[in-house]
Amino acid sequence: MSLLRALHAEVLKLKRTLAFRVVFVLPLLVAVLQFFIVWRTKKFPAGFDLWHTMGTNSLQVWAVFMMPLLIALETALLNGIEHSDRQWKHIFALPVPRHAVYFSKVVVAQVLILISTAILALLTIVVGIIATHLRPELANVGPIPFGWFAKYTVLVWAASWLIIAIHTWISTRWAGFPIPLGAGIGGTFFALFAASASVGKYYPWLLPMNLFVDGRFKAALVLGIAGGLVATLVGCMEFVRRDVI
Amino acid sequence: MENPLIETRDLTRRFGEQLAVDSLNLSVPAAGVYGFLGPNGAGKTTAIRMLLGLIRPNAGEVRLFGQPLLAHRNSLMRRVGALVEMPSLYPHLTGRENLEVTRRLLGAPRELIDLALEIVRLTKDANRRVREYSLGMRQRAGLALALLNKPDLLILDEPTNGLDPAGIHEMRDLIRRLPGESGLTVFLSSHLLSEVEQIASHIGIIHEGHLLFQGTLAELQAKQQSELTVGVKQLDQAIECLKRAGWTVQKRAEEMLSVSASSSEDAVRINSLLVDHRLDVFHLALAQVSLEDIFLTLTRERTA
Repeated sequence: MSLLRALHAEVLKLKRTLAFRVVFVLPLLVAVLQFFIVWRTKKFPAGFDLWHTMGTNSLQVWAVFMMPLLIALETALLNGIEHSDRQWKHIFALPVPRHAVYFSKVVVAQVLILISTAILALLTIVVGIIATHLRPELANVGPIPFGWFAKYTVLVWAASWLIIAIHTWISTRWAGFPIPLGAGIGGTFFALFAASASVGKYYPWLLPMNLFVDGRFKAALVLGIAGGLVATLVGCMEFVRRDVI
Repeated sequence: MENPLIETRDLTRRFGEQLAVDSLNLSVPAAGVYGFLGPNGAGKTTAIRMLLGLIRPNAGEVRLFGQPLLAHRNSLMRRVGALVEMPSLYPHLTGRENLEVTRRLLGAPRELIDLALEIVRLTKDANRRVREYSLGMRQRAGLALALLNKPDLLILDEPTNGLDPAGIHEMRDLIRRLPGESGLTVFLSSHLLSEVEQIASHIGIIHEGHLLFQGTLAELQAKQQSELTVGVKQLDQAIECLKRAGWTVQKRAEEMLSVSASSSEDAVRINSLLVDHRLDVFHLALAQVSLEDIFLTLTRERTA
């Protein structure tokens, strides 16, 4: 009940914020990139699987680069509004359990990332439809695999829960952008090196991308979801005990 | 004191080596305004944060409405409204939306928003974004947040800090009206006695984490004494003479001393005594010691 009340309050806090706008802007950037790839491709081979190729490309760029940065940005913005006018002391002085406040922050971040990933899938489909009209050789690529797009939207999102949990804790712990964004940039940067190493199988910032890597699918999903839940609980335990100076 | 609304028992909090609050025993009665006084850095904010459960004490206990805070925090906080230092407001939302955020968290009825806005006289500006508010308006909006849930106890930490004289007057006026209108108890911290003495019925004075005084304003005022400043050529002889006669004397400057005296009759007696001893008195001035002076004396004595 208190979690629902906290979520209800969180929704109102998002009004007029950048946190809500970037949810739409970042997928648009990836979709525009996809459009230019299609635009600049000289010739598509016969029998080209447009939907799965474009969908995989889109979601991979998203999973390895844009989404981790979006998570860092979103969680920093969502919790930054609590740091700016020292809202925590007001919220913690209310008869609301602290764990409800923490879980509401995690859930809102998760929902925003899901919306953003779904928008990316939709925009990718739109780019695909435009491509079939622009390029005659793509006229017969077959029906749009909505099921595949829905499935991978949810999978990529679920594998990102651990990143969301880590960033929620960081951004509740430190005010401002330097540390939360620094962690996001650092996490994404090291992902480039970890990708080819065996440790990359377990590296949090690579989990969504690992869904597309042979032999790493199951670990990515289990670690993403279970790791995300455990990290959320651990973060919450620290949050509940925290002194508000 | 019967059934204190706030009671702390040996409340202690350290920050590293520094003892911010040391064995604090507060006892705040129901109804009226309790002024919690102390210079900056005395431990007021730390104590208030422990009263609200924002920080944990290293030792001791907080009891609100007769119940331990630690075990019943959520149910007790339903009866408490708080404004700690600067108000916590979302600048991108309007005043009304800010109240709505808190209302949703509390699960309180919607009509309480209008009531709170009305009390702090912010109804007209309720739909403006908080970033356009003046400091005084922000402070009133903060007070509205604290009043939203119709609390029985209102805890205000330095509510007039940073306000201009008009804002201070307005805030003071609001706080003074509250106990009478809704029967709530106000616990108000300040570093200015002059600000608190106009509205408080009870006073607690804290310095370096210790409670130096706690009681009614009348009890504090009873500590008020007049002071007679005497100018005399033979200072040492005069001090000796007055002390022998049982007066409390302090050397102030060369040829100047002060005697704790309460009336003009005392001044006459002291003057006669000195003149009878053939001492050359050239100055006599009787002055009332203000509450501010008592406050300063109490805090200085502790420092010394």
